[in-house]
Amino acid sequence: MSITGDTIISAENLSVGYDKPLIRDICFALHGGEIMTLIGPNGSGKSTILKTIAGYLKKHGGDIYIGDSTIDDLSPNEKARQLSVLLTERLRADIMTCREVVEMGRYPYTGRFGLLSPADNTAVDDAIELVQMSDFAHKDFSEISDGQRQRVMLARAICQEPRILIFDEPTSYLDIYHKIIFLEILKKLTRERSIAVVVSMHELDLAEKISDYTVCVKDGGIFKFGKPQEIFCRDVIRRLFDIPEDLYAKYLSP
Amino acid sequence: MINLNLRKSTRIDNKIRCMIAFAALIIAMCALFCVNVFTGSADISMSEVLRVISGGVYRQTGTSATILFKIRIPRALAAMLLGGALALSGYLLQTFFHNPIAGPFVLGVSSGAKLTVALVMIFAVSRFHMVNSAVMILAAFVGSMLSLGFVLIVSHRVRQMSMLVVCGVMISYICSAVTDFIVTFADNSDIVNLHNWSMGTFSGTTMDNVRAMSVVVMSATICVFFLSKPIGAYQLGENYAQNLGVNIKLLRVALISLSGLLSACVTAFAGPVSFVGIAVPHIIKVIFHTSKPIVLIPACFLGGSIFCMLCDMIARTAFTPTELSISTVTAIFGAPVVIIVMIRRKRDEL
Repeated sequence: MSITGDTIISAENLSVGYDKPLIRDICFALHGGEIMTLIGPNGSGKSTILKTIAGYLKKHGGDIYIGDSTIDDLSPNEKARQLSVLLTERLRADIMTCREVVEMGRYPYTGRFGLLSPADNTAVDDAIELVQMSDFAHKDFSEISDGQRQRVMLARAICQEPRILIFDEPTSYLDIYHKIIFLEILKKLTRERSIAVVVSMHELDLAEKISDYTVCVKDGGIFKFGKPQEIFCRDVIRRLFDIPEDLYAKYLSP
Repeated sequence: MINLNLRKSTRIDNKIRCMIAFAALIIAMCALFCVNVFTGSADISMSEVLRVISGGVYRQTGTSATILFKIRIPRALAAMLLGGALALSGYLLQTFFHNPIAGPFVLGVSSGAKLTVALVMIFAVSRFHMVNSAVMILAAFVGSMLSLGFVLIVSHRVRQMSMLVVCGVMISYICSAVTDFIVTFADNSDIVNLHNWSMGTFSGTTMDNVRAMSVVVMSATICVFFLSKPIGAYQLGENYAQNLGVNIKLLRVALISLSGLLSACVTAFAGPVSFVGIAVPHIIKVIFHTSKPIVLIPACFLGGSIFCMLCDMIARTAFTPTELSISTVTAIFGAPVVIIVMIRRKRDEL
């Protein structure tokens, strides 16, 4: 493992699950600029891990550290400045322009009434610029396409200025062009801003290209953890998803 | 560069739109207040009204003064304050349930309050021959929270928004039936008023009532306004709000109790008033074209005031000397709005 800076987020012997522990002894450490992908069959527990790291589910054991402090020691506002999410759950935007959606990312930084300072406005504009949505900023959030919407959501997450991004299947439902655009922007900003990213994905070919580490989750357990070159090979993928030899050869062999 | 200018200009356009809309609402509110004070079944000339009002409350003893200070002004003020309270209560419930057709009336909150107020009134009148404003508000608040509690339990079981409303309407019918039963059998002469009240009316409001309601409504409204930032985040969905650092549990408690208190205040003094809580927030959203609570909260209050003063004016004057109940008029204007909202929702979903 090459160390490119301080550890930003790490887990030690983390156990996650809803009512009882489902996955035990999860350990990882991410530095600035690194992307960790979670792959595995539906219902294997990827979302459960992400939800626990993001603080929606109580952990059943172990610890999650952001920098040197455990996640439980941070106040909600401190946590909001450190960690930002993009969920599979649709964001409700009744009558909001794309810019207004992005502006919500400034929430942890604004005062009592949530009014934006000039610095906040700059951060919002920069985030919109970064996801290449400047031309759509004034459009209603409900009027744009799924791919564009996901980029606006990315901008919202970025302008929260977090050190950690947690994404649950951000590229599902996007066409291939928008998947690529989304991941390209994500990769770029991760490096530039030295952010640590934990993201679950179904697109194995794309996951291979953006990952620094990959976690394989299967049947409520960690099936394998490692660098992408160790994971994305015939043997591991076939066993992870239980794909019969002949079908793998027919559809997935290069 | 061009893009930048364009973005700036739409931002400014929206600001101007909001400012014009606010100015129009404030002017409409003042105008309607004046109309409500100047008109009525007793013929009082405009100069007479001005003479009496400029003289102040305490020096006047004539008939005109009595009518103005004992009847028309408190009634207009009640319509203004309680209308605003209802609209705001509806806005909070719609936000809380993420449900565009929620409101204190359809969710049975008003009827729950009506039941407890009726009980307290009958008990208090038969024992002490009087009822204190604060006790009425408290009784109504207890009733509101009980109804809301039932609705909340149901909303935990079923996640469908239509089921929530059906459940609210059923609670509302049960409470109304029990109230009618009580009112019918408690035919004490002191309780004659109770029947009118249980249909909904702003008449019979005293200046003391106005004082009590203004304290409660104003303080609740200020609290809501101070919550506009977390409410804005809550609108995105609980999970996103939590990620932004909002204390969801605390906010939910605050939303429910403030909306319960606001609608309780209305029911305590004017009885159940239908459709204001649902319709006004939608009208306001169309006028202002925004979801920002910091704009919508004061705008809903103003809109509710205007809506209720207008409806009360019609209720008083349309068929003089007979008065309509306020809910009759608010339903005629409010119900179509709800239907339009539902049709538009359906179309969006398809």
